[in-house]
Amino acid sequence: MADLFTLEHVSLAVDGRMILEDISDHLHEGRCMAIVGPSGSGKSTLLRMLNRFEEPTAGRILLRGQPLPSLDVTELRRRVGLVAQRPTLLSETVRDELRVGAPTLDDAAARQLLARVALPPDYLDRRTDGLSGGEAQRVCLARALAVGPEVLLLDEPTSALDGTSADAVDQIVRDLVADGMTVVLVSHALERAAAVSDDVLVLRGGRLTARGRADEVNFPTAVLGQPDLAGPDSEQP
Amino acid sequence: MSPNVPSWTGVAASLVLVLVAAGIARRGRLGVERDLLIASVRAFVQLVAVGAILSFLFLHAGVLGALLWMTAMVLVGGYEASRRAKGLPRALRSATLGIGIGAATTLGILLVFHVISTEPRVLVPVGGMVISGCMNIAAIVLRGLRTSAVEQRSQVEARLALGLGAREALAPLIRATVRMATIPAIDTTKVVGIISLPGAMTGLILAGVDPLTAIRYQIVVMYMLLAAGAVTALVTSRLAESALFDDAQRLRRMPAG
Repeated sequence: MADLFTLEHVSLAVDGRMILEDISDHLHEGRCMAIVGPSGSGKSTLLRMLNRFEEPTAGRILLRGQPLPSLDVTELRRRVGLVAQRPTLLSETVRDELRVGAPTLDDAAARQLLARVALPPDYLDRRTDGLSGGEAQRVCLARALAVGPEVLLLDEPTSALDGTSADAVDQIVRDLVADGMTVVLVSHALERAAAVSDDVLVLRGGRLTARGRADEVNFPTAVLGQPDLAGPDSEQP
Repeated sequence: MSPNVPSWTGVAASLVLVLVAAGIARRGRLGVERDLLIASVRAFVQLVAVGAILSFLFLHAGVLGALLWMTAMVLVGGYEASRRAKGLPRALRSATLGIGIGAATTLGILLVFHVISTEPRVLVPVGGMVISGCMNIAAIVLRGLRTSAVEQRSQVEARLALGLGAREALAPLIRATVRMATIPAIDTTKVVGIISLPGAMTGLILAGVDPLTAIRYQIVVMYMLLAAGAVTALVTSRLAESALFDDAQRLRRMPAG
C-alpha cells in the first residue's frame, strides 16, 4: 500500500494562535481516510493544505514523496481534487459545469461521470439552477472527477444535505473508493464518517489525538466522549 | 478676449445668485446656509488659484511643465481611485499605472498624428479631461473587483480547485467588472449632443467658436475618453488581478465591505 500523502510535523499558526500543531501521518492510496473532530479543530484547514489552499507555517507535506511546493500548483490541483462543503456551481448547464476543469470532455465521457455520481444521463442538458442541493453536490463531485484526479478531498460533503441526499453521496464515495479512488474527507459526524471510511484521524484543538482503522477503534466514546460532535464547520484561519 | 466672457464686475454681480440660494435655504430653515457660503467662497478661491497657475503654465512652463502638471494629476487620480478599494493589495499602484498608461497612450496617439497641439493650453485641459475619465474608471474597476473577489470567493476557489490558473479563475469577475466600468462611458458617448452638451464643446461655443468647429474637438475628446477608459480598465484590472493572488495561486483574504 503506497503512501500518497506524507505529513511531516505540520503546524499552522495564525496571528500567534496555533490552528494545527505538529501533525505527522501517512495517507494511503486507494483508501478512504476521514478526518474528524469538533468545530474549530483544524480539520478543514488540514484538508485544504493538501491542495495548497492553505500553507503550513512549519513542517511539510509530500505527495508521492515530492514536497507540495516543488510541484506546479495548477498541476497539483488537477491531481488533488477538492469538493467544498456547499455546492458552488459555475455554469448554466450540467454539461458546461462538467467542462469547467475539462474543456474537451465529450458527451459520452460526461454521461459516464454522471453515472458515477448516480445521476441519469439526461441530466447533461439540465440547467444547474434547477438542481436540488444533493444533485448539485453530486454534480460538483462529477466536475471534480472530470479532471481525472488521483485523490479526492471532500470537505464535509454531506453536512449541507438532507438525510436521503447525504446517504446517496456516502454511497457514491464508497463506490468511488471501491473503484480504486483515494478519498480524504472531513466530517464532524463520527458515525457517518466511520461508516464510509477505512481510516479515521481524530483532531482536537489542532492536535492529532487518535488515528486508526475505522472498524477497530471506538472513537465516539473512547476518544471524544460523544457520538456526534458540534455542528458543521468550515474553520479557516 | 471674447466679449462673451464675464468681467470681474459681472462675477461680483453673480454673487446675488449665491444670496438667492442662501435666502431660500434660510427661509426654508434647511440649515445649509453656512455650507453654501463656504462652498461658494471655496469655489472662488480654488478657481482663481487654478486660473493663476494655468496662466503661468501656459505662458512660461512649456511642454515639460504641462507634462509635470499632468503627472501630478495622474498621481492624485491614482490616489483617489485607490481609496475606493480599501484592503485591495497594491491598489495605489494598479490605479496609478492604469490611469497613467490609459492617458499616455491616447494622448500620445493624438499627438503623434498631430490631432492636438503640444501647447500647454491644449495639453493641460485635454489631459485633465482624459485623466479624470480614467480615474473614474480605475475607481469602478478596483471597487468592483474587490467586492466581487470577497463575495464570489467560493466560485473563484472552486475554479482554482479544478486546476484553473489564477487568471482563468478570476476571468468571469474581471469581465463583469471591466464591463461595468466601461458601460457608462459608452452610454455617454451614445447620447452625446442629444441629452448632454459636453464640457469641451460648451466651453468652445461660449468662447465664441463656431459650433461646427467646436464639435470636431468634442468628437476627438469622446473617442479619446473611450480609448483611454478601455486601456485604463484593462491595465488596472490586470495589475489588480495579479495582486489578488499569492505565489501559490491562492486568493488573498480581504476584509468584507
